[in-house]
Amino acid sequence: MEPLDSGYRDWSGRLRPAWWACWPIAWTGVLLVLRRKLFWLLLGLALLDFLFFFATIYLKAQVSVQNPAVAAFVNQVLSSVTGAGKTYREFMFAQGTVTMLVLAFAGELLVGGDYDQGGLTFYLSRAVGRRHYVIGKLLAIALLVNMTTAIPALILFVEYGLLTNSLSYFRENWRIVLGILGYGAVMAVSLSLLLFALASWLHKNVPLVMSWACIFVLLPAVGEILRHTYDDRRWRLLMFWRDIRLLGSWCFDALSDNDVPLLTGAVWVVLAVWVVCILAIIPRVRAVRVVA
Amino acid sequence: MPLFELIAVTHDYGRVRALSDVSLAVEAGAIGLVGQNGAGKSTLLQILLGLIRPTQGIARVLGLNVRTSGVRVRGRVGYMPERGSLVPGLRGVEYVALAGQLSGMPRRQSLRRAHEVLSYLGLEEARYRYLEQYSVGMKQRLKLAAALVHDPPVLLLDEPTAGLDPDGRAAMLGVLRALAQRPNRSLILSSHLLGDIERVCQTAVILDRGIVVRTGQIEGFRQAQPKQFRLRCSGDARALLDKLRSQGIEIQAADAGGVARIRLPDQLSTRDVFAESLRHSVLITGLEPDEEDFAMAYRRMLSAGGT
Repeated sequence: MEPLDSGYRDWSGRLRPAWWACWPIAWTGVLLVLRRKLFWLLLGLALLDFLFFFATIYLKAQVSVQNPAVAAFVNQVLSSVTGAGKTYREFMFAQGTVTMLVLAFAGELLVGGDYDQGGLTFYLSRAVGRRHYVIGKLLAIALLVNMTTAIPALILFVEYGLLTNSLSYFRENWRIVLGILGYGAVMAVSLSLLLFALASWLHKNVPLVMSWACIFVLLPAVGEILRHTYDDRRWRLLMFWRDIRLLGSWCFDALSDNDVPLLTGAVWVVLAVWVVCILAIIPRVRAVRVVA
Repeated sequence: MPLFELIAVTHDYGRVRALSDVSLAVEAGAIGLVGQNGAGKSTLLQILLGLIRPTQGIARVLGLNVRTSGVRVRGRVGYMPERGSLVPGLRGVEYVALAGQLSGMPRRQSLRRAHEVLSYLGLEEARYRYLEQYSVGMKQRLKLAAALVHDPPVLLLDEPTAGLDPDGRAAMLGVLRALAQRPNRSLILSSHLLGDIERVCQTAVILDRGIVVRTGQIEGFRQAQPKQFRLRCSGDARALLDKLRSQGIEIQAADAGGVARIRLPDQLSTRDVFAESLRHSVLITGLEPDEEDFAMAYRRMLSAGGT
């Protein structure tokens, strides 16, 4: 390494406020995930599901134009794919299941590794505050969620509308866009806060995946057993993923009569999880030590 | 305006006091932060970076209060930590560019600047490698590049030569010395290696168990030793040295280079040494003031409590 002679040049320029740093923090997180081949496999599954819906919508549009007699049969077979809000809700719910798998394994990359390998020191010793770091990381997780749920759902919505004969589909169903964005937002906020809180305490993949499985597999099983035992549907509120789905149904105005009494409880559960996660995150972000 | 200023700063970790009522103001330049493990260097660095709040007192960097303007302080400081602080999965140039963006640089400028700084530090060929493929020395240079990317007025370096081989260490110190000489730029080097401090810095802050033992110019520390000289003679000087000892002159045995350290009592001067050498027909080829090196001065100051 040659010592300085004339090789070093000064730099002068305008520095941006710290909030601008949230985007590079988020994008770096997404980049780290997308560079791992394991996630290509999981995201490939999500892509397959999206392609199925995409192709189905296209097929139904083509058949209804070219052969209306067959269209009725096709519509009966593929009755789950319509232009109604329920379709997009179900699509996002299915995509969200794959996304949860992605997040279970991405926690260490996105957040946990910062504690073990000094990434937290790297971020917080720059011109950013703890809140910028947290928001950047939450944004990274939210991007991963929306990449597989809300954004493909919007694409399907646009596709469906373009394949109808007029633009009246968009005028009559503009609330579906709000539903997609609302459900996407609830999913993104819930999963990002939960993953950040867990990863900031557990760090490593194995305990993260186990705790993730407890929340999304074990707890729902327990809830279902308790529901059967006590014949009380409110035990289903233990199923966090289902509570998010209830809120999503409300966003799409597609709440079934059976689920209406549980909506308030679902809101409280989701809010409580958010608050607990925020309270768990705060001490972990304050725990930085610049020098080991 | 001082580079940094501490006013009655105390910091406790539970019952352990890491810094105790530290007050000092240090002007711009190349400053060494010296002390053994547990002296409080790390705590002081964290306070200067605005990452921890002192239990009591006020700390300012470039006139900015670190408690209320921590983000602004860190925008004007380039920090190179001792260990860790890497983001595995990124390439070298991406890591440095990210550091630039986190410091407030626009993306394109940070990328351009990352290439420049990595080339300057000899990592041009390795800049597209992943961080996991970097050696220890390369990682240290990478962290220095991340500290330099936004060309801050102050560099804060924590044990920059940690883990480096002798050649790597010499090269790193050469770079740091050159960086310290840039106009309108300052450097704070925290190390327990006194040789590193001596080679790069002009000023030193000596910490011991949370207390500032001494602050000042390193040259000033060394000049505190009176009446001590290095004596070099040609030929057999045993008779001369015996005679000088009999006159009350303290003589340490000559080292491998034939240099003996002598300490003159108050009543004698170098003229007396030359006179004796004439009487014994011994040629003195060198008689120079023997300044303490920094390590000797440091040990002396710690044992004497700062005098």
